[in-house]
This record gives sequence, structure tokens and C-alpha cells, in this order.
Amino acid sequence: MFLQQLVNGITLGSTYALTAIGYTLVFGILELINFSHGSVYMAGAFIFYILATQLKMNFIAAFALSAAMTGMLGLVLEKMALKPLRKKGAAKITALISTIGISIILQNGVMLLMGSETKGFPSVFQGRYFNVFGTDVAFIQVFILLFSLVLMLALSYLIKSTRMGKAMRATAQNSEAAALMGISIDSVVSFTFFLGSFMAAVSGILVGMYYKSIDPGIGYLAGLKAFSAAVLGGIGVLPGAMLGGILIGISEILAAGYIHPGYRDAVAFAILILMLIIKPGGLLGKPTQRKV
Amino acid sequence: MKRIFMSIVLVVIMLVTSACSSREASAPGKEIYIALAAPLTGDYAQYGESFKKAIDLHVKAINEKGGVKGALIKIEAFDDKNDAKEATNIAQKLVSDKKFVAVIGHFGSTPSMAAAPVYQKGGLVEFSPTSSHPEFTSQGIYMFRNVNTQAVEGPILGEVAVNKLKKNKIAVIYINNDWGLVTKDKFIEKAEALGASIVASEPFIGGQTKDFTPTLTKIKELEPDLLFIAAMYSDTGLILQQAKQLKLEVPILGPSSLNNAQLITMAGEAAEGVYLTSNFFPEDPNSIVKGFVEEYKKAYGVEPDQFAAVAYDTLGMLVKAIETAGTDRKAIRDALAQIKDYEGVTGKTSFDENRDVQKAMVTLQIRDGKFVLGD
Repeated sequence: MFLQQLVNGITLGSTYALTAIGYTLVFGILELINFSHGSVYMAGAFIFYILATQLKMNFIAAFALSAAMTGMLGLVLEKMALKPLRKKGAAKITALISTIGISIILQNGVMLLMGSETKGFPSVFQGRYFNVFGTDVAFIQVFILLFSLVLMLALSYLIKSTRMGKAMRATAQNSEAAALMGISIDSVVSFTFFLGSFMAAVSGILVGMYYKSIDPGIGYLAGLKAFSAAVLGGIGVLPGAMLGGILIGISEILAAGYIHPGYRDAVAFAILILMLIIKPGGLLGKPTQRKV
Repeated sequence: MKRIFMSIVLVVIMLVTSACSSREASAPGKEIYIALAAPLTGDYAQYGESFKKAIDLHVKAINEKGGVKGALIKIEAFDDKNDAKEATNIAQKLVSDKKFVAVIGHFGSTPSMAAAPVYQKGGLVEFSPTSSHPEFTSQGIYMFRNVNTQAVEGPILGEVAVNKLKKNKIAVIYINNDWGLVTKDKFIEKAEALGASIVASEPFIGGQTKDFTPTLTKIKELEPDLLFIAAMYSDTGLILQQAKQLKLEVPILGPSSLNNAQLITMAGEAAEGVYLTSNFFPEDPNSIVKGFVEEYKKAYGVEPDQFAAVAYDTLGMLVKAIETAGTDRKAIRDALAQIKDYEGVTGKTSFDENRDVQKAMVTLQIRDGKFVLGD
């Protein structure tokens, strides 16, 4: 039973990790806690749902198109709700509240367009299992785990070794200095939002396939858990998001399985609080340097 | 420039809205206002929507036949998000707005009970289609319900489990709120009285828990011969899928809240064989039911669920009370309490002295992707 619970935990954790990677990416660059990430994740899943079930597109095409469309949606949201604030030099907290607003508008907008009931979500992984040491592991579970690993590596490469990645890191370090060096801050921020929203859609679709259902409310908890995972692992650090997600997933499942289902979130968040007290930067986070 | 434009927009909005309200006020006495207070946004919006669709359909039919003594029925919907605070605010508003003669709502037992003292004090009927918490109607004489309490349904389920399905080693998963707790308690009480043993009783948080694998893994170890799920269909859909994924092969029984076609769409094969009770069955050969299902399908393109069915009857009973009592709030309450054997789509309905109903329930089973009468 323990082994099965561990598999359950890693699977749940990898769905968090997948979402947390996009979350942490935007934070790392903009130092903006993006509360709309969860809603964009939900919107991505709904766009896929429309393309795949109502327009009957095939899986790969619908997947790529919906991720790209969600990326564009992120771009538009950034232009409408965050760029004007940046231009006015508003405080970071203003932008944060603006993202909460985006999230409410998105969630209710989807509810208005699609209705609020829970919908069955198409999956291409229906009923395929591996048997590992006597426990059953669904194909989609393995796929989600591997996919988040690959995405983490690809994004790490993008940030470390490409020209755009360099510009992103420079902006993260000091946006004014970066602007003076000829980096277009606006395009870096836009690109980051595109990428973050793209990632949100990818995770929304995969998690939707895992649970075979979506509703307009799925983004709220997904966002909260991804945020916790990102903070636990060290916000802004991609492998940290991955590690944090899996740790939260495992602790949640073990708490629910062995203590009491009512304590599942309590245990997960207690670990987060302990972590923040002991090592405020997160598991893999670097000690923060205050800019003067 | 921007400011001028904005002020013009504002003025236009004001003109339009005031034009609307003056038009509505121009025909006094010709319209009877009933409020619908239900979740129209948020986690439970799907149920509020079912209410609204069914009520709109019924009101349209009544108004096309000339309304109630020449007056047209008007429904105004208020969104309580199934939240106790919102519900209380809406109750305050409705009580003080004299144009409303009665209220259909609220959806969940928790908001219904939170708002009850306000309605009771204001003397306004709070007729909930679905609040099944036993304590709801004891909040005051203005509280009515149109559903079996969980104190009625829980024991029916316990009997189905032990006497009909012949199971005696039962695991329970329940939603951790007023409704779930009472359903679980009354079910367990009856099942144990009939000789069954309960091997597990596991709660979860509704609308938040998406991952049931730890609970289901635990239950699998205990090898029960029946799993009883006290939850809404949306949560149950997830439980069924994950049970199948974990190869937990055990018969499953649930309350009437599972009676929704979306459960089958969501859970697919995993829903096969699930037993549930219900007081509404769309394939019922009864002509009233047939007519309702046809009308509903024609209007909305989907089959009505039992939430729609019970809301449809709730409006019907309220209108019947208004027919005899007129528009006085107190008189409507008294007339409603007198209703006997109302023939609706959820069967014959009478109120007992506590303004509760007792409806017969059928056992359904999901077979080949359809709800059919269980054996």
C-alpha cells in the first residue's frame, strides 16, 4: 500500500510541478507573483476542450494550437492589465492585484461562455497501464512526470544559453540597467508572459486529461498549489519548482492516506511554512540579495 | 476628452436603466414577483442554472396560459454563490423589497439555514427545492423544502445497501459539509442497525479535492463489498475514474445527487454498474414527466436533471399557493402549508406538519451508459 501511495503522491506532485514551472518562470523574470496563472491554466484547458471536442481537431493539432492561443491570451492580458501599470511606475503590489482581477474576469468569462458545469475532458491515454512492483501506474502518470522533466530542462536551456534567455536574466537582475544596455524590456516581458501562459495551457490540458474533467474553477487551487510548490522549491528556480511540486504532492497523499483526509492541505501547507521559517529562500533558492 | 466620453457613457447607462425600471413600474398589480436565490456563479453554479432553466420554462408555460388570475409571474434571480454570507445579504434585500411575494431557494443546506432567520423574521416564504438538512425547516414556519431530508434518504440508502444489494462490509466516502455529514450518519445508522459493518468513513473537501487516490488506496486494502459515496456528481465522477484506475473493483452506491447525465459523460466506463436512488427518472412513462422532459429538451437541448425537476415542481407548488392566497406573504405561507398531493414531475407531494416532504424513491443503476431502473 505504501508503494501505491507513493506513486499516487508522485503523480499528484508532478501535476503541481508542471504548473509550478510556468509560475516560477514569470516570477523569476518579473518578480511578479502572477495570480492569474491558475485562470490562464483553466482557459488553456477550455480552449483545448473546444478545439478537440467541438471542432473535432486531432490531438496534436489541438494541443499545439491551444497552447499557442493561450500564449497569445497571456500576451494580450499583459498588454492590457500590466503594461499600463509598468509605464506609470506603479508599485509591484498594484500589478499583483491586477493579476487577481484578470483571474476573476477570466474565470467568470469562461463560466459565461461555456457554462459552469463540470465537463468530461477527452484523453488520448485512456486505460493504458504499466505494472511496476505490483502497483499500477497509468501511462498518463508517467507521461506527466517525464513531460515536466523535459520542459524543465528545455526551459533551463532557454534561460541559460540563448540570447533571449540572457535578456530575460538581465531584466530579472535590473530592468533599468538592462534597458540602458539596449534590451527592449517590453518585448522581454511579453515573451515571458507568452511562455508562462503557454506552459500554463500545457499543464492545464495534461492535468485535465489526467482527471478527465474540467470546470471553470480548476484554476484556483491549481494556482495556489503551484505557487506553494514554487515557493517551497525556491521561487524563480526551475528545478526547485519541480522538486517542490513533488514534495507537496507526496506529503499531501501521505497525510490523506495515513493521518486523515481532512489534514491533507494542512500538512502540505505546514511543511511550506516550516520551510519558510528554516530556509526562507526555499529548498534550492539562493539567499536573496537586497538591491539598494 | 476621455472624461467627457466617460460621462456621456454614464449618462446613457443611467437613462437606459431608468427607462427600464419606469417601464416595469407602469403596470402595477399585473405582475407577481417571485425571487430565485441560488448559486449562479462559483463552484455550484451548475445547480443554480438547472433551477433557473426549469423555473423559466414553467413560468413561460404559466404566463402563456394567462398567468395567475390575469397577473403574469415574473422571476428575478439572485446569485448567492452557495455562500452563507451572500445568502443572508440576499435574504435581507428580498425581505425588505415588498414586491417579492415568496422566495425559491437556496440551493445548499448551509446557505438556506444561514438565511432562514432573516426570512422568518421578515415573514417571507423560503421554499428550498434541495436543502435536505433535517434542521432546515425547524428554523421557522416560513421554511419549506421540496426534497427528502437526508434523514429520510440516508435510511432508504442503508436499506438498499443491506437488504436489496445484500452487502454488509461497507466503506464510506463523504463530502465534509452539513449535507454530507447527515447523509453519512443516517446511512451508517441504518446500515449498522440492519447488521452491516462500516470499515471506513473518509471525508473530503467538496469542490477542492480532485485527487482521491490516497483514500481509495486505503479503502482497497480494507476489501469492502460496497462503497457508499455521499457526494455531488462532479466529485463522484472523479472518484469513480480514480477507483477504476486503482483497480478498486467494488459495487458503488450513492444518493440521488448522482442522478445527472454528466456523471456518465465524465466517468464513462467507470460509471458502469453504479447504484443510486432518485425521485426523478426522465424515462418515467408518466405523462407529466414525459411532457416536462420533452419541453425541457426542446428549450435547452439537454435532458433535465433532478435539480431541474424539483425546481420545476417547487415553482408549480408556489404558484398553486398564490392562486388560492393572492399576493399576501403570510397568506401564501398558509396556503402552501395546506398543499396536499401535488402532482408533479417528482411524484405526488404533500407537506407534513414540519413542512417537510416524503417522496418515494426508486433505485437506479447505470448500465451501458444510461440510467435504468435497478433490480
